[in-house]
Amino acid sequence: MPFDTASTDPGCAPEAPAGDWLALDDPQEWAGFSRPVRDREGWQESYLAIQGMHCAACALTVEQALAHLPGVDGVQVNGASATARVTWSPAVSRPSQWLAALRRAGYGAVPAGDLVDAVARLKEQRLLLWRWLVAGFCMMQVMMYAWPAYVAEPGEITPDIASLLRWASWVLTLPVVLFSCWPFFSAALRDLRHRTVGMDVPVALGIAIAFGASTAATFDPAGVLGAEVWFDSVTMFVFFLLSGRLLEQRLRDRTAGSLEALMRRLPQTIERQRADGSFERVPVRRLAARDLIRVLPGEVVPADGQVLEGETRVDESLLTGESRPLRRGAGQPVIAGSQNLDGVVLVRVERAGGDTRFAGIVALMEQASVEKPRLARIADRIATPFLLAVLAAAAGAAAWWWAGGPAHALGVAVAVLIVTCPCALSLATPAATLAAAGALARQGVLVRRLQALESCAVVDTVVFDKTGTLTHDRMGVSATRVRAGVDADEALALAASLARHSLHPASRAIAAVAGNAGWTAAEVAELAGRGVQGRVAAPDGALSRGLRLGSAGFCEAPAGAAQAGRPAAHLADESGWLASFELDEALRPDAAAAVAALQAQGLQVRLLSGDGDGAVQRLARRAGIAQAHGDCSPEDKLDRIRRLQEGGQRVVMVGDGVNDGPVLARADVSVAMGDAVPLAQARSDFVVLGGQLRAVSALLAHARRTRRIVRQNLAWAAAYNAICVPLAVAGWMPPWLAGLGMAASSLLVVANSARLARIADVGGQEAAAGPPPLAARQPA
Amino acid sequence: MDILFILIPLSVALALLILGALGWAVWRGQFEGVDAEGERILHSD
Repeated sequence: MPFDTASTDPGCAPEAPAGDWLALDDPQEWAGFSRPVRDREGWQESYLAIQGMHCAACALTVEQALAHLPGVDGVQVNGASATARVTWSPAVSRPSQWLAALRRAGYGAVPAGDLVDAVARLKEQRLLLWRWLVAGFCMMQVMMYAWPAYVAEPGEITPDIASLLRWASWVLTLPVVLFSCWPFFSAALRDLRHRTVGMDVPVALGIAIAFGASTAATFDPAGVLGAEVWFDSVTMFVFFLLSGRLLEQRLRDRTAGSLEALMRRLPQTIERQRADGSFERVPVRRLAARDLIRVLPGEVVPADGQVLEGETRVDESLLTGESRPLRRGAGQPVIAGSQNLDGVVLVRVERAGGDTRFAGIVALMEQASVEKPRLARIADRIATPFLLAVLAAAAGAAAWWWAGGPAHALGVAVAVLIVTCPCALSLATPAATLAAAGALARQGVLVRRLQALESCAVVDTVVFDKTGTLTHDRMGVSATRVRAGVDADEALALAASLARHSLHPASRAIAAVAGNAGWTAAEVAELAGRGVQGRVAAPDGALSRGLRLGSAGFCEAPAGAAQAGRPAAHLADESGWLASFELDEALRPDAAAAVAALQAQGLQVRLLSGDGDGAVQRLARRAGIAQAHGDCSPEDKLDRIRRLQEGGQRVVMVGDGVNDGPVLARADVSVAMGDAVPLAQARSDFVVLGGQLRAVSALLAHARRTRRIVRQNLAWAAAYNAICVPLAVAGWMPPWLAGLGMAASSLLVVANSARLARIADVGGQEAAAGPPPLAARQPA
Repeated sequence: MDILFILIPLSVALALLILGALGWAVWRGQFEGVDAEGERILHSD
């Protein structure tokens, strides 16, 4: 198979433990992602999210891998969403067989239970596409019938041929009006029943009048309405209107798609330790806090917890946007939804199910996606008087022109109704903010309040909190001093080999910064209040030395090994002091770059902290912040923010989300670093998931871009209405031109907004607007 | 020009037939994985 890219690329195949598959054979488990096929007794259809697909050819390979299995009747693979629908008979086939077959073909798969519920949405998509195709195809054909009337000399077309062409156009316009226009008519009827006037009322009225008048002209060319027909205008208007709706639906579904991809991350089962120490596979749903679970390479961590044994790297990219694998060893936390890449770890569950950060993220995204921006709400409020004015203008224009012939008068009324359709105006804000929120979510920034995007665009001051915001909430090693002749890196590696066996904050700091040089420690003992000691062996096992790591006294450190007043840890071997490690709060690695990026955008950057002023100033210098204030009580912080605001500045506060609650609420816009606190408690407009400070500058830049595009949209829509309405009322705009103009302005707004679905990536490169990375990513 | 009296009704019938075919394609999900269909012909199975 020369085009089978999958089998030639071993990187396609994610590791999935076989135990998961067997668990899926339990009818209770596969019920979660399957449903009975209608009109086929005993058959089921199931949905799988395929991992490792990256091209159209992959879709075919997946299809072939599954289609030949006994008991599998039909397979449909969607290349764009990387999902497959399998029709199968439980009497013959088992889900584990498909997964095994997929694995042989080089792919992984997870059940996609959400797609079972998404069937209604799929139906809606297909219906809209079908309406759109009917309108488009009929439009083309009706245009051809209309063409002779536009180009022929008077008298060149005989009356019977002209009448035949009108009849043919009528027949093909009928499906457009009855089927394609149904959404407009039903929405208009609903509005009228509720005694409101929505956008669809003038649209439906315009279509109905144009079609009605044209029908009368078709059946009775000699009648009062004359022989003029507008079938071409009606079909074209409907086609372009539906094109706008189709684009809008796609945009919405793409945003919803990012959410669903998140939900598909949780595995169905995990190995849980029994009381006797052996392991059993249990569904993730049954996990509870304090359970001990074993997470194998390739598995997704099912709950928030702490690593007890083992060391590995995890990929948190989907949750946080952090694309590099993160090292996790004993004592370090792992979060639900992250993928375990290469080691076996024993994890103690701390939070499971709905309490995890993962569940918090999903809840936040759901909440944000239903909220309506303020501008859109204003647009809704002014819509009713505006639309009433439109109806009045159309009626007035028709009355004015009635003397010049009813046909012309109706034509003017239709043009007014169609041309004033505020579709573009109503799409201007929601289309842009939705696209922007979707793009930000893929970069690890959750938008909790859509309307905050507006305020975000006008801020001129960024205030950072220190702990948990500019810094990690754990310590780092800021300086190392060593005995003459000792290599600093080696000393750190030696210290880390001991430190890994201790949960003391200083030990964790040292273990976190040191690479694993292969030193192994044995006979480790922790002496409370003093330190750790043990025997450390070189990678080849040859050299073994007794080491101590701990306080200055414990390690016989000389005076001056560490600056007074700063936390430090010391290392000693059999012949005495070896090295000292000065500890400090670890500045986030991208803090300086983020601050520089913000300053490059012309923003003022400040630091407010409750910590001692000396430490705050030192940290501010390292981060490149000129204005820093330490020793601030929460009241001081609030006061400073208020003074800034009174000075006319718009402030965005970046904090850890919980401790700064009141300050975050006071600021114009608040951003929480989501790695410090439980997400569900974060009280802020935005949550940055990856702990990447650069996301803040990306957020502000994108918010400004969003505002610019919203303004372009609004300006364009308003200008279009201002120009076209007088023309239409004056009778200078035929219905076909009105339809074309209105549709073109809506399409322009949607297309302009779709530009926001792309965002300059936090790392600098342009990210694709496609679905977020799935579990398909492989260890490097 | 009398031929038009047959051709135009024929074109209407043909258009409706094509609409039916398009509908069949939509509800069979043929527009939901458009990239794969182009590659199918290259596969030897």
